[in-house]
Amino acid sequence: MKKLYTTRKYSIINLRHSKRSHRRQLAFKEYKRLKNKAEIGIIKQKRSYKKKFEEPFKNYIRIHAPENFSFIENSAGVIDFISKLKNHFDKKKKVFVVLKNVKTISYDAIVVLLSIMVRFKATKIDFNGDFPENEEARRILTESKFLQYLYQSFREEDRYQLGQNSSIVTHAWKDVDSELGYELIKNASKTIWGEERRCQGVQRTLIELMLNTNNHADDCKKGEKHWWLSVHHDKVNKKVSFAFIDFGVGVFTSLTNKRHGSKFFGIVDKLKERVKFGNNADLLRLIMDGTLHRTATGKPYHGKGLPGINKARERNQISNLNIITNDVHASLDNNSFQIISKSFSGTFVYWELNNENLNCYGEN
Amino acid sequence: MEKIKISIRRDFSPTPGPRYIHEGKFSGEFFRQQVLYPSVSEAIEKNIPFEVDLDGTAGYGTSFLEESFGGLIRIHSLPYEKIMSLMSLISIEEDYLLDDVSEYLKDAYEESKK
Repeated sequence: MKKLYTTRKYSIINLRHSKRSHRRQLAFKEYKRLKNKAEIGIIKQKRSYKKKFEEPFKNYIRIHAPENFSFIENSAGVIDFISKLKNHFDKKKKVFVVLKNVKTISYDAIVVLLSIMVRFKATKIDFNGDFPENEEARRILTESKFLQYLYQSFREEDRYQLGQNSSIVTHAWKDVDSELGYELIKNASKTIWGEERRCQGVQRTLIELMLNTNNHADDCKKGEKHWWLSVHHDKVNKKVSFAFIDFGVGVFTSLTNKRHGSKFFGIVDKLKERVKFGNNADLLRLIMDGTLHRTATGKPYHGKGLPGINKARERNQISNLNIITNDVHASLDNNSFQIISKSFSGTFVYWELNNENLNCYGEN
Repeated sequence: MEKIKISIRRDFSPTPGPRYIHEGKFSGEFFRQQVLYPSVSEAIEKNIPFEVDLDGTAGYGTSFLEESFGGLIRIHSLPYEKIMSLMSLISIEEDYLLDDVSEYLKDAYEESKK
C-alpha cells in the first residue's frame, strides 16, 4: 500500500483532486459571502419566505394573484390573473402563484383557484404557490383545502370532488348530475333551516348551467369541458353560496359561432334588426329577459337556459345572482350589466340561497 | 272512471335530469321512452284520461320537460288535441310548470305542422 501512495501517478491524481476540492471550497465560500451580503438588513420572516418559496421554485414563472381576489368585486383583476395562468398552461410552463399579497379573498374565487390548480396538476405541469399573509384570507384558503391539495398530485379525470367534510366543497364533472344537485341542496337546507328541504330554483339553476357547459362550452364537441362548482356554507348567517365556472368559449362567442341549422344561427344579426343594442352588456340583458329566445324562435319565451335561471331569481328561489361571461359582468339583483376591461373565456355564475328564498318542505 | 296516473317522483326519479340520455342520468328522453309514452299512448288508445304529477321532485331543468312532453308529438307523433283533452297536470309546488308544459306541447304541435 505504501508503495502505491508514493508512486508518481498517485501523487498527480492526489494533487489534481486537492486543487479541485480547494476551488470548490472557495467558490462555495464566495457564494455564502454574497448570499449573506444580499440578506443583510432583510428581516427573519422575509429570509425564511425566500428560503421556503423563492429558492426552491426559482425556475417557476411567478404569477401574482390580485390583492382583492374576488371575481365579483374585482372581475378585471381576476380575469387578468386567469388569462396569465391560461397562457402559461397552454405553453406548459410551470407556475408559482404568489398569494402572499392577497388582502381579501372571497368564496367565489375559490372555485377559480381550485379548478386552475387541478387543470395544471392533472396535465402534469408543475404548479405551486404560497399563502396569504392576511389571516382571514389564509383561513378561507385553508377551509377550501387548497393548501392541502397544492401538494397532491392529480390525474386527468372526468370527475373531481374536493374539500369533503369542509365548509367549502368543490365538484367537477362534464355531464349533468341532478343527483349531485339534490345532495348539495339537502346539505344547504340543513345549514339554512336546520332540516332537509327542496329548493327547485337551485336545482333548475344547477341543471341549466351543467347543461350549458355540456352543450355549448366547446364549439367542436359536446361534453368536452368540465364544469366546476364550489359551495360554501355560512352557518352564522344561514346562507349558502354557489360559484359555478366553466372555461369554455363564453356566451357571446358561443352565440356568434352557432352553425347553420341551429335555431340561434345568425341570431345576433337578427336581433340587431329588431332591437337596439350597443354592446355585449346590452345583449346579455336581452338574453336574460328572454328577448333573444323570442327573436330566435318567434315564440313566447318559456324559461329555458340562462333566462330560466333569472326567472328562478325573480320568483325569489335564489338570491344575489351574478354572471360573468366574456367581457360582461351582470349583477341581476341590481339590474346592472357592465362591460369589463378584460375578456373572460368562459362562464362564471354566482348565487346564494338564504332563509328568505322559496323552498318546499320535506325530503324527496 | 278509469284513469292512468303517473307520478314523476314515484314512477321515474326524484331527481329528473337533462334532456338527452347521453347528457346524464334520469333524462327527459329516457322518461318519455320508459314511462310517459307507454302510458300516454295507452290512454289515447283506450280513450281514458291520464294524470301527470310533477310534484315531489328535487326540481326540473326546462329541457327535461320539453323533451318529455314535446317529444310525444315531435318523436312519437301523438295527436296534440287528444293529449290536451285527456291530460291533467298536477304541479302545486311549482304552478308555473303547468303553463310551461302546455306551451312545450303547443310548440311541438306547431313545429310538426310545418
